[in-house]
Amino acid sequence: MPIIVNLDVMMAKRKISSNELAKRIDITPANLSILKTGKAKAVRFSTLDKLCEVLKCQPGDILEWREEEGE
Amino acid sequence: MWTKQQSLRLSINVVRILKLFILVLCFCVPVMARWYDTTDTDGIGLIQGSVFLPLTICLYAAAVCGEVCLWLLGKLLENIGKGIVFTAENCQYLRFISWCCFAAAIPFTILGCWRFLSFVIAMAAGFFGLILHVLKNVFDKAVELQDENDYTI
Repeated sequence: MPIIVNLDVMMAKRKISSNELAKRIDITPANLSILKTGKAKAVRFSTLDKLCEVLKCQPGDILEWREEEGE
Repeated sequence: MWTKQQSLRLSINVVRILKLFILVLCFCVPVMARWYDTTDTDGIGLIQGSVFLPLTICLYAAAVCGEVCLWLLGKLLENIGKGIVFTAENCQYLRFISWCCFAAAIPFTILGCWRFLSFVIAMAAGFFGLILHVLKNVFDKAVELQDENDYTI
């Protein structure tokens, strides 16, 4: 998928663990893992809002669009 | 008060009773075919003569399709009972049930050469197969939506 989730990069920058982030944005660690591994098909605005609030960043810092290989 | 669970149990039990009923009918097929052959002597068809053998073969083929259909319906209802509804497995069950209906229509179409009336049964089976195939397409879409919903964080 051309949308890349750079959540792990932001988490490393903010030095926050997966469990703590999951707790603070009120989602399960399993769902956070789906998001981190890029398996998610969509992200709710409410989730994105909480992520940006906790990680003190912009949506663009978490999500990135890359051209698909072979195009 | 009639609950959803009771409705499901009713469906499961009806499927079980029908399975047993078809099995019992299998033993009576030659008798039924002989009775029909002697009763309906002036039936209209392309081929004239005794309908005993084609009817016997047709009924046995339909019974096999019916048993397979009911077995798959049982599996489908079992999954629904467990709360597993929109899955690829259930879509496969519906697909096979639909193909079983189409398969059941074939012997009745052939039997139509002896008795035109059996075209009606063939058409009914084919139409039912088509409805189930459309239902399977709806299930396919629902599985896709469910998947998307599951992976929306």
